[in-house]
Amino acid sequence: MSAQDRLPAPLGLLIDRNAPLTFQFDGKPLQGLAGDSIASALLANGRWLLSRSFKYHRPRGPLSMAGQDANTLVQLPDEPNVLADMQPLAAGQTVTGQNYAGSLDKDRDAVLGHFSTFMPVGFYYRSFFKPKGMWKIWEPLIRKKAGLGVLDLNFQPQYHDKAFLFTDLAVIGAGPAGLSAALAAANAGAKVLLIEQQPYLGGALAWARFDIEGQRGGQLREELLAAVESHANIRILKDATCNAWFTDHYLPVIQGNRLYKVRARQCIVAAGAFDQPVVFRNNDLPGVMLTSAAQRLIKLYAVKPGQRAVLLTGNDDGYLAALDLHEAGVEVAALVDMRSQPIEGRLVTALQTRGITCHSASTVYEALGERHLQAVDIRRISAEGEVAPHSTRIDCDLLCMSAGYMPVYQLLCQAGGKLAYDDASAAFTLSGLPAGLQVAGSVSGRHQLDNVLRDGSDAASRALLALGLASSSEAGDYLAEAPVNFPWPIFAHPKGKEFVDFDEDLQVRDILNATRHGYRDVQLVKRFSTVGMGPSQGRHSALPTARLVAKATGRSVSETGVTTARPPFVAEKLAHIAGRGFDPYRQTAMHQRHLELGAKMMPAGAWQRPAYYGKPEKRDACMQAETRHVREKVGMIDVSTLGGLDVRGPDAAELLNRLYTFAFSKQPVGRSRYALMTNEHGVVIDDGVCARFADRHFYVTATTSGVDRIYQQMLKWNAQWRLDVDITNITAALAAVNLAGPDSRQVLATLCSDVDLSAEGFPYLGVRQGKVAGIPARLLRVGFVGELGYEIHVPARYGEALWDALMEAGKAFDIRPFGVETQRLLRLEKGHVIISQDTDGMTSPAEIDMNWAIARSKPFFIGKRSVEILEAQPLLRKLVGFSLPSGSAQPLEGHLVLKGPDISGNVTSCEYSQTLGQIIGLAYCAPDQATPGQSLPIRVEGGAVVQATVVKLPFYDPDNQRQEL
Amino acid sequence: MSLHAEHFSERSPLYRLHQDAQLNALGDSCIVSNYGAGDERARAAHCGLLDLSNLARVGFRGAASAAYLEARGYQLPAVPNQALSQADGSQVLRMSQAEYLLLGSLQDTGARVRQEELAWQFDDTPNYLLPRQDSHAWLLLSGTCQAEVMAKLCGVDLRAEAFPVGSVAQTSAARINVIIANLPLGELPCLHILCDRASADYFWGALLDAMQEFGGQPVGLDALR
Repeated sequence: MSAQDRLPAPLGLLIDRNAPLTFQFDGKPLQGLAGDSIASALLANGRWLLSRSFKYHRPRGPLSMAGQDANTLVQLPDEPNVLADMQPLAAGQTVTGQNYAGSLDKDRDAVLGHFSTFMPVGFYYRSFFKPKGMWKIWEPLIRKKAGLGVLDLNFQPQYHDKAFLFTDLAVIGAGPAGLSAALAAANAGAKVLLIEQQPYLGGALAWARFDIEGQRGGQLREELLAAVESHANIRILKDATCNAWFTDHYLPVIQGNRLYKVRARQCIVAAGAFDQPVVFRNNDLPGVMLTSAAQRLIKLYAVKPGQRAVLLTGNDDGYLAALDLHEAGVEVAALVDMRSQPIEGRLVTALQTRGITCHSASTVYEALGERHLQAVDIRRISAEGEVAPHSTRIDCDLLCMSAGYMPVYQLLCQAGGKLAYDDASAAFTLSGLPAGLQVAGSVSGRHQLDNVLRDGSDAASRALLALGLASSSEAGDYLAEAPVNFPWPIFAHPKGKEFVDFDEDLQVRDILNATRHGYRDVQLVKRFSTVGMGPSQGRHSALPTARLVAKATGRSVSETGVTTARPPFVAEKLAHIAGRGFDPYRQTAMHQRHLELGAKMMPAGAWQRPAYYGKPEKRDACMQAETRHVREKVGMIDVSTLGGLDVRGPDAAELLNRLYTFAFSKQPVGRSRYALMTNEHGVVIDDGVCARFADRHFYVTATTSGVDRIYQQMLKWNAQWRLDVDITNITAALAAVNLAGPDSRQVLATLCSDVDLSAEGFPYLGVRQGKVAGIPARLLRVGFVGELGYEIHVPARYGEALWDALMEAGKAFDIRPFGVETQRLLRLEKGHVIISQDTDGMTSPAEIDMNWAIARSKPFFIGKRSVEILEAQPLLRKLVGFSLPSGSAQPLEGHLVLKGPDISGNVTSCEYSQTLGQIIGLAYCAPDQATPGQSLPIRVEGGAVVQATVVKLPFYDPDNQRQEL
Repeated sequence: MSLHAEHFSERSPLYRLHQDAQLNALGDSCIVSNYGAGDERARAAHCGLLDLSNLARVGFRGAASAAYLEARGYQLPAVPNQALSQADGSQVLRMSQAEYLLLGSLQDTGARVRQEELAWQFDDTPNYLLPRQDSHAWLLLSGTCQAEVMAKLCGVDLRAEAFPVGSVAQTSAARINVIIANLPLGELPCLHILCDRASADYFWGALLDAMQEFGGQPVGLDALR
């Protein structure tokens, strides 16, 4: 059949006959139509063999034409395992088969099917590990054969994102029940989100036949769509898969490249039912498909599914489908009914009128053919699962099969629902659903069209009551439902190949063997045999497996149950889960100035900070030059990222007293004091300075990476202590620079006239408030880098103007900006620790010589008791300064300090100091290695050991004269 | 001479993103009046984004804050997470039992609220000033698509029926903390979004990205008038 040879309109609901599309399959150019799926376009071109099965490489054609099986998996250039019956055809698309050796039509690996006897379920568990060491030989061979498709490692990621969607009512499934429910709810004022997996609305109304005349489905669909599509309260998502149900009706819905996170107040699942295959020999041969698949091909794509057909059915719907096929010009050779007669007697007459022979109480025992169906072997059913010896062969190229329907129970079971099966009537029921979750339509066992519609509106009525949009819910009368499931559509064959699970090539005997190995529980059978683990997730295999296990273990299907359904409902891409990446970053007010000055930026938590100014290849030179400038002239660093907390109120000093190790009650206004914080375990967790600007106002700094945590700690503790204090995190509100170097006072003096900047008027550790370049500023005299220096904190809106003013004022003094890495070198020369670089999750104050920062007379601070306990124990390690001659191998942070054959510590900081002409660093070592002058063995890159010398800190300006100028 | 943001010492964290825009003075700083391309008024009505970071805003917190603000002529929302428009166009957002956020009015270019920040004195009364103009950037998302745009960034239902005029949400959007207030300007639907000032560049980009499918773009102040 060529692309032009489609069935006449109005068949072909989805295709545009005026929009031909050219594409390639396995290198052969073909033509399809806009609206086609890849599979429908291939079938329209007479291409029935679409894939090879996973294990035996059997030829496979379409089964469901609804994305419910793995038979249509194909390879796209940038994506393997694409469902050809769901993937829209695109112009110029290149499609290939996958999982074959040679060609799709002549797959050399198909020979494996002849050895299936030797490859029973679980054979690999027992076969490849003996004798010892054999697994290493088998593994590469198995890995080569395992898996489907080929990954494109040069794949360019596409934009995916997520969005929340809020609604009163989510209706999942836009078949007759879903449409009816959506309409009823929307008419009553509810905002409805209608979610449909397929690209069209109406569900079975679009392709199934509901009466002998074949009129009702189409008419009803038109009526419902006219009302639904124009309804202001209904939002429709087509081509959208609700992939799970989570508590409180949190529904992930995938549509295109977007994952909607639906938050619904109420939810109606009208997801329908899966047409079920019959299990007989060669039931997987191309040309054998579900009856619904053939109807979809005709009605949705105007593709004639075969020339001569046989229908195998377990319910009356097969008769109606036979009428569809007949009308589509397919010669219906026979209808084989597994039952003794249909429920609706007129159906037999309707078929006989059209010359269609009916075989009752019979089944197809075997499908015949190599790569496509050629004939079927029909037998009378003599007992459950058994057939009479007399065989009738009917030539055909199409076999439509339907054993009945299984509800699409997956979402409902994820919600906690229990699926029950009545062995007598072969009918399913669902119970135990959570509040606010309704079911409607065939998923709840309603198959009569009038019942389905009624069920939809009744479900809406219950949802409306819960939403407060109705005062009572309705429950109508329902017509009696005819049975739709044939109770035992499984016919084992002595030669096997009656497939229970198409994905995993599992035959009847594979399931039975699992039970013979002692796996009675269906969950264990699943894990042993892998039944239901393939892409179709048991949609067609769960019920026959339950039936087989039940029979083999002498239980009912209800007692056996089905395997657990977990999210996701269909395979989802990691890109959907990841969505659009949100990676927040923070920039200071001077950020652009740093870029303009050629800064090499580095991350500091979420902040972006200048590491140094210059090219990365000249890092060391830049740092040394910047250091020299600070030591000899004046430099400026952006310290806006430093944490800033305003602590205000009558109890401000008391709060700090409890939080930090030092004492703050008597701290004078206008002075700052070092602040060290320990946790309840006595571990050092942060430091900063507390600047007292008023009796009741402290400005507390914290480390860049620690401030958010410290702020939370303050709020937490204060919530317990109930002190009269206000704590505000003003980190982002203040831009700040540290102006440092011997000339810093002179630079500042050109811009600041309302503060006495003299050494006496504004001494070391003093704090002031004034104006710098007309900008209100907090000024702190600090000595982190060991030179005369001023931290200038201003409102962030003025940050860049402050930077500009200081750079301009500093020109006369040859001012130069310096970066974070330079600052780390400067402070290293002063022997100042950086919390979290030179400390870890175990560091106590004594280990880093911070005992001086502890006010022992205080009755309490967080960690006091632990600090005292630790101090009573012998020290286990000590942070020391060390030096190495210039030219030595330079230790890196993390390199190990040795003591004989043992590790006694590690390097935390290390740089070459041009100021000192040697390599300097900080390292943990054993206490008996910590005496200045001792040799400290450090294992450096390549395993060599260098002998550093322990040095008394600080390395530079030991009398602190320069910072106190 | 045309205005340039660097003529002012007060600068929005986003001013470099408006390099080609026409600016207008706004108090001691400036604001984009238009970008000079297309119908910005129509864009604002559909999906527009305006940087209001230079418009005055300030917060007060403490047991005495309510009395302090009432004494200065402000009407206060009765409950937290509500906003109340003042006669002069400024807004008072109640952030908690004892915290208020004042948003300046475009009518007086934020002068009144700016004065509140300058007038406040630290004393013994429990009424602490919060420097919201410096801690937060202020973005205005306008138009009929605002709720759908925000649904791509934020888990709070911001549709008009769930988040009516005067509502305030303190939540997270695009993984940073934000304050969102539904405060239309006349007939124009507007969500006022206050985010960490240091994250403004990031959040502006995240918003524009979310607006793209709706054809949303930045707009100037002229589009709101």
